[in-house]
Amino acid sequence: MLFNNNIEGFETIQAQNSYAFAKIVADLTHLYDLYGYQQTFIPTFEAYDLYVHEDSIPCDDLFKLINHQGKVLTLKPDVTLPITRMAAINHPNPDEIIKFSYKANIYRNFSAPDSIKKEINQIGIEYFGNDSPECDGEIIALSILSLLKAGVSDIHIDLGHVGFINYLLEELDFSDQQRLTLFEFIENKNIGDIISYLKMLKIDPKYQEIIAKLPVLYGKPTDVISEMKAICINKKMEGVVQKITEIYKHLQTMGFDQYINFDLGFTNQMNYYSDTIFKAYINNWGEPVISGGRYNKLSEKFGIPRPACGFAIDLMKIINYMDQNSILPQRESLKNIIIYEADKKTAAYEMGQSFRKEGKIAELFIANEDVIKQIDLLKSNPLYQKIEVYYLKNDKIYYLDKQQFKEVESR
Amino acid sequence: MTIRFALAKGRVAKKAIALLIELGYVFDDYSEKSRKLIFQDTTGAIAFFLVKSPDVATYVEKGAADIGIVGKDVLLEHPAKVYEMLNLNIGKCRMCVAGYPDRPLPYGKKLVVGTKYPVIAKNFFQTKKQLVDIIKLNGSVELAPIIGLSDCIVDIVESGSTLKENGLAVLEEICQISSRLIVNQVSLKTKRTSIDPIIKAFETQLTTDV
Repeated sequence: MLFNNNIEGFETIQAQNSYAFAKIVADLTHLYDLYGYQQTFIPTFEAYDLYVHEDSIPCDDLFKLINHQGKVLTLKPDVTLPITRMAAINHPNPDEIIKFSYKANIYRNFSAPDSIKKEINQIGIEYFGNDSPECDGEIIALSILSLLKAGVSDIHIDLGHVGFINYLLEELDFSDQQRLTLFEFIENKNIGDIISYLKMLKIDPKYQEIIAKLPVLYGKPTDVISEMKAICINKKMEGVVQKITEIYKHLQTMGFDQYINFDLGFTNQMNYYSDTIFKAYINNWGEPVISGGRYNKLSEKFGIPRPACGFAIDLMKIINYMDQNSILPQRESLKNIIIYEADKKTAAYEMGQSFRKEGKIAELFIANEDVIKQIDLLKSNPLYQKIEVYYLKNDKIYYLDKQQFKEVESR
Repeated sequence: MTIRFALAKGRVAKKAIALLIELGYVFDDYSEKSRKLIFQDTTGAIAFFLVKSPDVATYVEKGAADIGIVGKDVLLEHPAKVYEMLNLNIGKCRMCVAGYPDRPLPYGKKLVVGTKYPVIAKNFFQTKKQLVDIIKLNGSVELAPIIGLSDCIVDIVESGSTLKENGLAVLEEICQISSRLIVNQVSLKTKRTSIDPIIKAFETQLTTDV
C-alpha cells in the first residue's frame, strides 16, 4: 500500500471545475482568434541557460533536470521568454506583425509555503512588432474582455509604467541593492520608511519629496496624469506621461475606461517589462489574476529587435473565485441511466446510442441483484443528482418515476 | 460600503478602537469583555473584528478586511501582498539576537538559534553569512539557551527584563519593530473615499502624539 503520495503544490482539476476550465479556455481562445491571435503551443521544457542570465526568477525557483547529452533543462517557469525566442527564430523580419495566443502550464519550484501552487495554468496573448498606444490599448482591453467573457464582472485594472520610476531614479546615484529596497517600499506604499531611508542615504530633499510622491500616484487616470505632470524632472518622464495619456484615451474610445485605475508606484518581478505594466484584480482579492505589459527590449536578446506587449491570466485563480461565489458555468447535467439484465445487452447498447445521437448523455450499467440499492448508491454521488433511469428486463422497459418502476412502451 | 477593519487582540487594538470612537464612530455593542467577534458601528460605515495577529495580514491580503493594524514582526515573518501605509509608532520594540555575552562562538561551529521567527532569523544570519541551525519554538524562547537547546535566540525585546532575569543579554539588534497600518491593495483604490479619511485620522493622531 502506498500512503500519502501527494506532491504539494500540484492539483487535479475535476468535476464542475474542469468543465468550467475547459469552457473558459475554449471561449477565450475563440475571443483571441476573433482579434487575429494565432494559437500556439509551447514546449514544456526550456534550456536552463535561458533563465539563468535573467535575474527575474531566482534559480532556486526552477525545476531542473538533465537530458541524455548532459544539457540542463528546466520546466518553463514563464511563457513570455520562450514565446519571444520562438518568434525571433521563426520570424526574422523585425517589422513583421506577429500575434500569438497560448494556453500553457508554467512551473515554479517555490520553497515555501507548501500550499502554494507550483503548476500554474496560464492563458494569454503576446503581440509583437507594434509599439503604438493602440496596441497597448488592445492588450489591456482584451484582458478586461477575457474576464467579462469568463463571467466575472467585478474587475479592476491597475495601469502603470516602469519608466516613470526608473527615469526619475536615473537622476540619482543608487546602487542595485538600494534601488531594490526603495522599490519595495514604493510598492508597499510605505511612505514613512521611504523618507527615513532617503534621509539615511542623504538624498537631496528636493528629490526626497518627489520620490515620496510616487506611492500616492494612483487613482482616477485624469487626476493622476495632472499629478504626474507636476513632478516630471526630465524629458523621458514627460514622454511617459504623454504615452500613458494616449493609451488611456484609446481605452476611452473603446469604452473600457470605467475599469482603469492608474498606479505608478508598482513594478514587476519579471524585469523584462520596459514600459507599461498592468495587473487585473477581481473583487477585493489582493492577488492579481492577470499581469502583463510591454517588453520592448527582450527580443533583442534573441537577435531580433522588436517591440512587444502581452499578458497572462492565472486560470485557477479565476475558477477558484467563481467557485467560491457560485458563478461557475454549470454543465447541463441530465444523465440517462440505462440498467439492463445481462441478456438485454444489445437492446441496452442500442438505446444508449439513440440517446447519444440526440446529443444526450447515456450511461449503461449491468443490473446488480438489488437494482433499487444500485440506483441509491449512484444518486449519493453529486454528479448523478439529475438522472433519468431506465431498466431493461424481460423484453420490457421500465422507467423509474418517484421510486417506482413503471412499464413504458419505449423511452 | 462598509469598511472592514482587522485588529490583533491586545493593547494596540484598544488604542485603535479608542481612536475610532474619538473619530465619531459609535459601537454600541462593544465592551472590552464582550465575546462577540465582530462589531459594527451604528451608521454601518465601519466594522472591526479581533483576530490573532498573524491572521491580520492574511485577512487584509485576501480582501476579507480592508484595513488592518499589525506589528512589523508579523509582516517580516509572513510577508503579505498588502500596502503598508503608516508606521503608527505604537507597540514599539526591537527584534534582537540574545544569548550569553561571555560565550563566544567556537571557530567554525554552526550557531544553533531558537526562535519564534524562523524566517526573520534565517534572513538575518544569511546576510551575515553565518551558518546556523534554526529551531522553531512557540513560546518561552528564553529557556532554550539556558538548558542548552540552542546557543542563542532571536526574539522581540521590549524592556529586556525577561532576558536579564534569566542571565541573558542582547547580542545584536536586527531591526526596530512597531505597529503598521496595512490596507488591501484593491480596497485602497475602490473604496478610496471612505478609507482616505481613516488613514488621515490615524496620521494626524500620530503627529499630535509625538
